[in-house]
Amino acid sequence: MLESERLRLSQEIEDLAAKYNYQRQSLLPILQAIKTKHHHISDFALQEVARLLSIHPVEVYGVVSFYSFLSTSQQGNFVIRLCRTISCELAGKDVIARQLQNELGIKFGETTADGRFSLFWANCLGMCDQGPALLINDYVFTKVTADQVFDILEACRRSFGVFALQGRNTLNSEAAVQSNVKTGVSVESGVLSNNDLNQGLKASIQGTPENVIQIIKESGLKGRGGAGFPTHIKWELAAKSKSEQKYVVCNADEGEPGTFKDRMLISDYPDLVLEGMTIAGYALGAKSGIVYLRGEYSYLLKSLQKAVDARRAQHLLGADILGKKGFTFDVDIRLGSGAYVCGEETALIESLEGQRGEPRNRPPFPVNTGYNSNPTIVNNVETFVMAAHILAKGPGWLKQQGTKLSTGTKLFSVSGNCAHPGIYEFPYGVTISELLRKVGGEDAKAVQVGGASGRCVPRSQFEHIIAFEDIPTGGSVIVLGPDTSMLNVAKNFLEFFNEESCGQCTPCRIGNRRLLEGVEMLEEGKCSIKYLRELQNLGKSMQLASKCGLGQSSPNAFLSITEYFKDEILGKVHETVQLEKGGTRA
Amino acid sequence: MTPEKNVSNNPAPCGVDTRTPVSQRLNEDEVSCRMAAEGVKIKVTINQQIVEVTARTTILQAAKQVNIHIPTLCYHPDLCVAGVCRICVVEVEGQKALQTACSYPITEPIVVQTSTPKVRRARRHILDLMLSEHYGECYSCVRNNNCELQSLAKEYGVDFYRFGHVHEPKYVVDSSSYSVVRDMNKCILCRRCVRTCIDLQEVGVLEAINRGAQTKIATFMDKPLADVVCINCGQCINRCPTGALRANDPSDDIWAAIDDPDKHVIIQTAPSPRAAIGEAFGAAPGTSLTREMNTALRRCGFSKVFDTDFTADLTILEEGTELLLRLKKALVDKDAGVALPQFTSCSPGWVKYLEHFFPEYIPNMSTAKSPQQMFGTIMKTYYAQKNNIDPAKIVTVALMPCSAKKFECNRPEMSDSGYKDIDYGLTTREMAQMIQEAGIDLLSLPKSDFDDPFGEASGAGVIFGATGGVMEAALRSVVEIVTGLKAEQVFENLEVKPIRGFEGIKYMELKIPQVGPVPEILKNLKIANWDFLNGATLKIAVAHGTANAKKVMEDIKAGGKFSECHFIEFMACPGGCLGGGGQPIPTSPEIREARAKAIYAEDESQKIRKSHENPYVLKIYKEFFTDGPCSEKSHHLLHTHYINRGKAIV
Repeated sequence: MLESERLRLSQEIEDLAAKYNYQRQSLLPILQAIKTKHHHISDFALQEVARLLSIHPVEVYGVVSFYSFLSTSQQGNFVIRLCRTISCELAGKDVIARQLQNELGIKFGETTADGRFSLFWANCLGMCDQGPALLINDYVFTKVTADQVFDILEACRRSFGVFALQGRNTLNSEAAVQSNVKTGVSVESGVLSNNDLNQGLKASIQGTPENVIQIIKESGLKGRGGAGFPTHIKWELAAKSKSEQKYVVCNADEGEPGTFKDRMLISDYPDLVLEGMTIAGYALGAKSGIVYLRGEYSYLLKSLQKAVDARRAQHLLGADILGKKGFTFDVDIRLGSGAYVCGEETALIESLEGQRGEPRNRPPFPVNTGYNSNPTIVNNVETFVMAAHILAKGPGWLKQQGTKLSTGTKLFSVSGNCAHPGIYEFPYGVTISELLRKVGGEDAKAVQVGGASGRCVPRSQFEHIIAFEDIPTGGSVIVLGPDTSMLNVAKNFLEFFNEESCGQCTPCRIGNRRLLEGVEMLEEGKCSIKYLRELQNLGKSMQLASKCGLGQSSPNAFLSITEYFKDEILGKVHETVQLEKGGTRA
Repeated sequence: MTPEKNVSNNPAPCGVDTRTPVSQRLNEDEVSCRMAAEGVKIKVTINQQIVEVTARTTILQAAKQVNIHIPTLCYHPDLCVAGVCRICVVEVEGQKALQTACSYPITEPIVVQTSTPKVRRARRHILDLMLSEHYGECYSCVRNNNCELQSLAKEYGVDFYRFGHVHEPKYVVDSSSYSVVRDMNKCILCRRCVRTCIDLQEVGVLEAINRGAQTKIATFMDKPLADVVCINCGQCINRCPTGALRANDPSDDIWAAIDDPDKHVIIQTAPSPRAAIGEAFGAAPGTSLTREMNTALRRCGFSKVFDTDFTADLTILEEGTELLLRLKKALVDKDAGVALPQFTSCSPGWVKYLEHFFPEYIPNMSTAKSPQQMFGTIMKTYYAQKNNIDPAKIVTVALMPCSAKKFECNRPEMSDSGYKDIDYGLTTREMAQMIQEAGIDLLSLPKSDFDDPFGEASGAGVIFGATGGVMEAALRSVVEIVTGLKAEQVFENLEVKPIRGFEGIKYMELKIPQVGPVPEILKNLKIANWDFLNGATLKIAVAHGTANAKKVMEDIKAGGKFSECHFIEFMACPGGCLGGGGQPIPTSPEIREARAKAIYAEDESQKIRKSHENPYVLKIYKEFFTDGPCSEKSHHLLHTHYINRGKAIV
């Protein structure tokens, strides 16, 4: 690097660091800015960032190497990320992958000689109902067909940016984020409407913070992210923690394969999300809110920021909200950088603090030792939306639907082999067969509920209900048609976990590798039942001994598939292997 | 061990300003904070046994109190809790998943089971998984028989590789560093080295990189260790549970030199190895084996066995004189350019730390070489001349508790004798290995003395091995030289209590009550009298572990209380040399304490306990460095210079 270039880069990083007050917490935004501008973060840049933030260069390197969207090696002007997760796989991503490689003359992980294009896999872009999907820089392309590939690349080549791509099947033209919302409930529950916007907030500040928590408690609201922790307990614990600084964090790091309903909420109902956060801020006595938006949704940043600014202008954020003296709450948006595990709340907090997104030991819990060691609640996007509605409509509203233990309705992201993929709202307690009828997937042989970390439900269990007391879910429903290779599904998920595990604890890091090898043995028809049982036992240990919830659920798909589809997977040489060995697809 | 004790012994308790894992942060809710502060006892049931603990004791600590063994691997008493290996999982009633005993703070009465089918199976699986990725056969490993992974495999009766085993190495072994060798094929990602380097030492060489199955421990941009800001302290080696980190072992070359009839192989031994080498032979920590070791070294074939403490005494005279000169320049000559406080320079890890992290303070570093290097120079000049040996044929080996000494002896400037002053730095561990290889049972050997003429040393030289020891040795001499009083009149039983012990940073003020005449040995310094020191208050400080050194340096930078000090002792390793990176493994606060006791006991048993009273030191000033300490000749041979290395490596 020329000395003058070094000086320029140095100055640029100095400016960035100064903008963020030289805080470690700003490591990610700083790195993101450098990466966007220079298409990589050079070793010199790493060293400069470390110097300015008073941390060790190797720590910055550790962080950069953790996140998929950051890189120390030079990437092209156009970074293409093709989604490789199961829904896009079922939609035919392999064809697109081959065509991309043919057109570009490079393999995945490589950059073209002219430095224009880099090609990578992505782990779920949240476009599962519209796959195959790919992301080029900040632009999403959906339902890509092989013959479009050339045109898409040409449009990039001919433009100085990707501006020319607007309107070409992309979802980015601001007004037209295609949400694909289907109405699943006959009763108009009103979750997806802005009719009562800000009524909840107004109602909240008329009462005490305790009152808000009481209403949430009465409604029976449980976290919509999948774990189903009662929302009021989190809020109550954080409210009781005595601390000057508390945080309300919105987990918009929707990374679970097959989930995309939060994307729709952020793009179509940002006000409801922000209102829910503001209510939480009031309930907790927190002044700061943070939306952690996954890097794959960076194209939503602008519209979300607009919504924040607009609310600030309307005194719905900022100081003395709605004229209530002393009620101050504001929201910051932070972008992720491509790491599924950051959807785990403590990993998310680590990420906010500028660390590798590695889940923490619990206890202590975020409600008393969270972001910057302060009491913090982390809730799913949908949970905040529900909270806003509950405060507007009263606690009884949620209880009108659902089951006793799982009140209300839930948004589902439906993808895979069905006639009408999209976003649905169903009450908790809906049976899988009912759901399949609505989405046009009656002939499914199995349904993956809850994404990669969820459970594979075979046909024989389609009468089970989706609820916290039976089959819980964060909303992902992937319909697996009669022709789906179940082993392929297991393999896809295990490949996902091998890449997306944070890698700190032994059971998840190495366990998933052994499970993946086991699936590969099964593919070749070379796995003994004895060894399969060893692996199943291993899976059970992983569920018990992994550090975080994601690690604990990582073997779920493997366990259910090897349990319910033994006949399909044992002693057979599978299609993909035959193909690799020179066979042809029938 | 009680948790309170752990904290006070920990040389660098993790503070919020470091990269503290959240499990160590203290923002628990008020109730449990108050409970802990008030010492409220909580009743915990572990395997049907009831144990009362204070709030926030971990399950692991509580179990220890009732002698229930829970296996650990990533846990280390010196380090922040990580909770990543998961081997210490236990069942806590009411919790669906297993919990790690090392990280789980007790804040309410809980019921714990440490050996249920679930627990046993999970632990065995975790072990099987580690073994499935761990490359290397035990019999070709430096840690054979002293490996925590191996011990666990034995404990859990591993008799086959359930999930396979690696047969090909995946990574190239990095032996670029003179001091530390990294073999990542044996790494089990417990991250003790990361926590040692970033949290305990605050040097920041190692960190986990990548994610998922690709995770590994690496240096900045995965560069060779020799090319990054490593200070070679070797603390990572001491805490590595497997053979993934080891010292760069020169013993084959040393054997070859011993076997070469043309070579005159001399070994000098530092004070700390003798207080620890017994551990490698099964003796309890703190067993002093000075004179048994002398016999063993002779039987190994070394021609002469000398005591590094001799040059430690020499160091005191050189460094102490340097300090007096600096004080005179500052107080009498009113020279504003004189750099104070003066820093000690005998810890090569600390020297490199300063060169990297605070190079602007190089002028403060004493120019006196470390005892090891002084010894080498004298061997290949004075000793060679006196005994009529061609210095080219002398091979100097330094038995040290230290891995950084290997780097130090390879510094190009360390050749003032015209030869490489010290040929090999050998660690305590490597020496123990050589003794074993020679078929010698160290513990049962007859005792023997060091060889003359460098066999006599003072107790002051011995205590160089402990944190505060160099300063104490210096004070014993400086006080006597300046005041004319006997040091015993100032320090009871010659013990400088305020700077003993393992507190991370120690500080002391000493009023100089009177001044005496300038002694003969310093006559060439042209100091007429000590009047400028009469009634002055000498301010001194001691820091061990580079994390503490960093705190002191930052205080100096900010103009705080340490900037007013006159003399500061720094040692890179927690506990000082006795906790060095070349000492037997394992290490813990208790082990270091036991070693320190052995060292102070040896000092007390010594006839001479002040450096300037060592007759051989006086003799060498009479015969060789005839112009006294800090003269031109001593500057040429016994002093050195430093390099502004900085932190930037790209």
